[in-house]
Amino acid sequence: MEPGKRRTKDDTWKAEDLRKHLWAVQSGSPKEDKKHRDKKLHKDSELDLLEYKEHKYRDPDRDARHRDLYTSKENPYGERDREKHREKRKDTKDREKEKLKERHREQDAERLHGRGKDREKERDRRPRKEEIKQTAAYHNILVREARDRQLLDRADKKTRSGSKVRIEEKERRDEDSERVDEDRERRYRERKLQYGDNKDNPLKFWLYKEEDERKHRKPREVDREKKHQEKGSTREKREKHSKEKGNFLTDKEGEERHREKRHRDLDDERHRNHTERKERLSKEEHKKKESKNGEHRNRGARLKRDGPGSQHAENLVRSIGKDKDSRRKRSREEGASLWTLPQHQEGEEPVEIEKEASDLQNAGPDEISANFEDDFEDYEDDFEVCDGDDDESNYDPDSQEKSEELPPAQKREIQEIQKAINAENERIGELSSKRFPKQSRMEYEKQSRADANISPSRTPVCGIFVDFATASHRQKSRSQALKQKTRSTKLLRLIDLDFSFTFSLLDLPPVNEYDMYIRNFGKKNTKQAYVQYNEDNVERDIQTEDIETREVWTQHPGESALVSGGSRDRGLSDATIVPKIDTPRLSSFLRAACQVVAVLLEEDRLSVRPSWQLTAEDNSLHVSDSSCQLNTDLPFLQNREVLCLHASQVQRQTVVSVHDVPGRASFPPLDSRLLLCVWDIWQPSGPQKALICESKVTCCCFSPFKAFLLFAGTVHGSVVVWDLREDSRIHHYVRLSDCSWTFRTPTFSTDGILTSVNHRSSLRAIEPVATSVYRKQSFVLSPFTTQEEMSGLSFHIASLDESGILNMWVVVELPKADNAGSMSDLGLLPGGRIKLVHSSVIQLGNSLHRKDSEFWGPTQTLSVKFLPSDSNHFIVGTDLGFISHGTRQDVKVSPKLFKPQQHGMRPVKVNVIDFSPFGEPIFLAGCSDGSIRLHQLASEWPLAQWDSSTEGSAICSLQWSPTRPAVFLVQDAASRVYIWDLLESDLGPVATQLISPDRLLAMTVTGESDKAGGSFLALALARASGAVDIQYLKRQWTVPKADEQSQLHLLLQEGLWSSEHPWRGPRGPPRT
Amino acid sequence: MASRPSFVVGTSLSLSDGAPEAEKNAAESENTYILRPIFQQRFRPSVVKDCIHAVLKEELTNAEYSPEEMPQLTKHLSETVKDKLKGMGFDRYKMVVQVLIGEQRGEGVFMAARCFWDADTDNYIHDVFMNDSLFCVVAAFGCFYY
Repeated sequence: MEPGKRRTKDDTWKAEDLRKHLWAVQSGSPKEDKKHRDKKLHKDSELDLLEYKEHKYRDPDRDARHRDLYTSKENPYGERDREKHREKRKDTKDREKEKLKERHREQDAERLHGRGKDREKERDRRPRKEEIKQTAAYHNILVREARDRQLLDRADKKTRSGSKVRIEEKERRDEDSERVDEDRERRYRERKLQYGDNKDNPLKFWLYKEEDERKHRKPREVDREKKHQEKGSTREKREKHSKEKGNFLTDKEGEERHREKRHRDLDDERHRNHTERKERLSKEEHKKKESKNGEHRNRGARLKRDGPGSQHAENLVRSIGKDKDSRRKRSREEGASLWTLPQHQEGEEPVEIEKEASDLQNAGPDEISANFEDDFEDYEDDFEVCDGDDDESNYDPDSQEKSEELPPAQKREIQEIQKAINAENERIGELSSKRFPKQSRMEYEKQSRADANISPSRTPVCGIFVDFATASHRQKSRSQALKQKTRSTKLLRLIDLDFSFTFSLLDLPPVNEYDMYIRNFGKKNTKQAYVQYNEDNVERDIQTEDIETREVWTQHPGESALVSGGSRDRGLSDATIVPKIDTPRLSSFLRAACQVVAVLLEEDRLSVRPSWQLTAEDNSLHVSDSSCQLNTDLPFLQNREVLCLHASQVQRQTVVSVHDVPGRASFPPLDSRLLLCVWDIWQPSGPQKALICESKVTCCCFSPFKAFLLFAGTVHGSVVVWDLREDSRIHHYVRLSDCSWTFRTPTFSTDGILTSVNHRSSLRAIEPVATSVYRKQSFVLSPFTTQEEMSGLSFHIASLDESGILNMWVVVELPKADNAGSMSDLGLLPGGRIKLVHSSVIQLGNSLHRKDSEFWGPTQTLSVKFLPSDSNHFIVGTDLGFISHGTRQDVKVSPKLFKPQQHGMRPVKVNVIDFSPFGEPIFLAGCSDGSIRLHQLASEWPLAQWDSSTEGSAICSLQWSPTRPAVFLVQDAASRVYIWDLLESDLGPVATQLISPDRLLAMTVTGESDKAGGSFLALALARASGAVDIQYLKRQWTVPKADEQSQLHLLLQEGLWSSEHPWRGPRGPPRT
Repeated sequence: MASRPSFVVGTSLSLSDGAPEAEKNAAESENTYILRPIFQQRFRPSVVKDCIHAVLKEELTNAEYSPEEMPQLTKHLSETVKDKLKGMGFDRYKMVVQVLIGEQRGEGVFMAARCFWDADTDNYIHDVFMNDSLFCVVAAFGCFYY
């Protein structure tokens, strides 16, 4: 029976119409006329009215749909819009309120009138109470309806058309009222926001507002009063008409005005009561009145009445306040339940209804079009009002109509909006289409739908554009997804996926509080430092320093200077950069240079010291041009006698003197030892080398090709070797006065070693055995390159002792010196490189043993000489006066013995024998009986024999002159020197020199003839005082005469002849 | 000291080439699946670790934690590592590089990862860099694209 919520909404739309209508009414004139005309359109029968109402009912549905679409969109703007609207609608509302007041008045009148019918009311009261509750404030609408009904009644009374107009008008008014309601509702909400939720507030506000409006409206009311009176005139007519029916109506009319002012501020409750009562009254009236009109009409009116009436009531309820809400809701619910069926039926086919309506209206097309026109004009008015606002159109529920045919301004607006929407859609689409294609699509669709509602003509464009992009995109993505899906399904059959175990990427344990504290604050004002109590233990590994190691050796007893050695210099040599020096070449150069310089210095000194020279002059013999004295005035040579002198055959200026143990102590460290001095006769100021030997040296010799080795035989039967090249550092040296002297110990000694083969008796002679001339020549071609090896070491040493044992030694040079000494070569000096190896031994005793000399005892061998031309042959002088001839290979030689001219055994020692150095196969032999024999190798007997040249004194020394083949020098024991020149005299010496008072102890001859003009012949004479003189013989004996050798040869041949008669004595030397 | 730890995570994802042609011709021609990577192009954790370590050492040696800069830094790091890995010739591999930088404040942190993958072809490696103010975890996952 009562309207629901839907109804309410519907009615709001109608309210707009009402408002417009009111506008029109106010503006009066043409529109009013038009409306009147419109009303005439509805001059259809009263059956049409029902249909029209149905038509009207359709509207709400459409409207509801419409609004649903908008609500979502417009909510954001709603508030603002409403504010605007509120201002605009104040006017309309005012008008409406006036209307309401009028109605009140009417109602009041009716009520007053109804009072008379209290009983009637009482009768209906009980059933109506529920109504009251549910439809609390319907009275307004009821009033209106009542009025309408009155109008209708009046129309009925008049013409049909007129009634129609009224109906139309009534409809419009209803709509307007609904609209007003909605506006009011909105305003109320806003006010609620403004004034808070106070329950009283709304009512007060409303009351206040109405009053206010009324005050303002007072002047206008006059006009309206007029209008009202116009209306009222109709009403009066109706009233009159009703008066015709009953008198109470006139009373009511009369009272209506009267009460108008009285009940201006009546409370709503009363209003309602009035209306209720009025309603009932009017209903009854209606029934009475419209009994003719037929049942359906009555029903329609009722329906009509119910609809707006309920709406009106709701309006009032709202104005009362929230406290009524619950009730109203209930009423609505009931109303809805009641109304659903018809509403639904109507809603199902709204279009049809519309059609029907239009068909019906077709009867008068002009009117219909006019009607529409009128409507649009109304809307135009509305739009004009709303033009200022952008959102008005959107908000306006009438936009449905607008969409159908839009005014240009509205179109523009919509276009702009669409543009904006499209732009935004595009933007959103660009951004999100990839990620959210579906969503965006949905949005697009929604938008397009909305657009379609607003302006269907435009939506297709938007829709197509959007749909195309999204559709293609969707298709692409779908196909891709499909492909991926097939791929994945294929692959998943081939592979196995599994869950890996959980990898711990980071496990950072929480830091405990103390550590945190230390981390944050522990570093402040602190410094890490290490303190060590015992500094030694900082690191155990380096508690001790590096151990310095040095390899040393020592020797006991430490007799020489070199008792210890080792690598003590290594560190130094390591540290210093050794310059690249060709040491051998430098040393050889220095040696030579030193010699030269030394000689020059010596000569200078001699010239500076005339005294020295004088003494030398004094000492020179008459056989000599000049002489010099070797400086034997050295500390270590004091009181020593010279045992023997020897001159090198190769280096003629080198002379060695053997000094005996001193008679009385003079230089303690060397007193027990024998000294050997190697002199250079050009440097008489001092010996070149000083050698020491433990035992008494009986004989000595130099190495044959270079005088760097000195061999000596001792009385103990040992052979010792000095290597003169040795570094002086390995030898003992003694600092004497201003200079230091190095005393060299033997490099090698056979003492105590090789006992099986060594000599057991005193050595008598030691001789170098040079290789033969032929072999010498062959050496040139030998692979040996260094001359040292070629010439120096390719020789043997033959040592002969008294017992007739001839030992042959091989001289071996070690490749490297060993400072530590050799374990195998015990006779070798540490650091020495020369050693002797026993080669062979020749027992001369057997060959010398003769039957006839058995009683003489064992033969003593005294001297040995090797043939210069053939070193395999040697001759040995014996103490029996004959000279034995032997070979090293035990080959038989033709003259086994060289015998003196005297037959028979005689105890004559052959002291010295000497081969001629000029290649002649002759040798001289000096005998202890003073006889001198000249032997030829091929003959047993001597070529010549001089028995009395020394007057019986023994021959101590005999030597061929190295410069003249026919000259030889002889020294006898009586300290005399004889010079023999066979070319000059073969009977005796050509010169005799007595060395006195300083007795001559030893003599040697040296000389050189190779140098042109530099040849000399010097006699080294050792005196008993220890002095050694060098006497340069006069030129007559020094320089060889022309063709001297051939002359000597002839002489010897003669001698051969004379030798055939040995017993006759020597014949006079051949003279040419 | 009591505030909650702050981490910044940056992830970089890359797809190596190799996939497209398979899709192009999938319909007509034979499939181009490769079920196992070429041995030389296998994801080798040791090599990757060296790479990551080098990057971290270069970038973070003197780095200080600051909440404002870390997001960019993580992104930068992950991009750098990813770019480097892409240049190392792991063909048909998808690389996921995750970088986490957190502040060193003494809190305990536990971070773990779990993968659903083909253990024969896929692999991962991570490296942790720490200094006084921050710690950085870089995890690189290599997933083979069959």
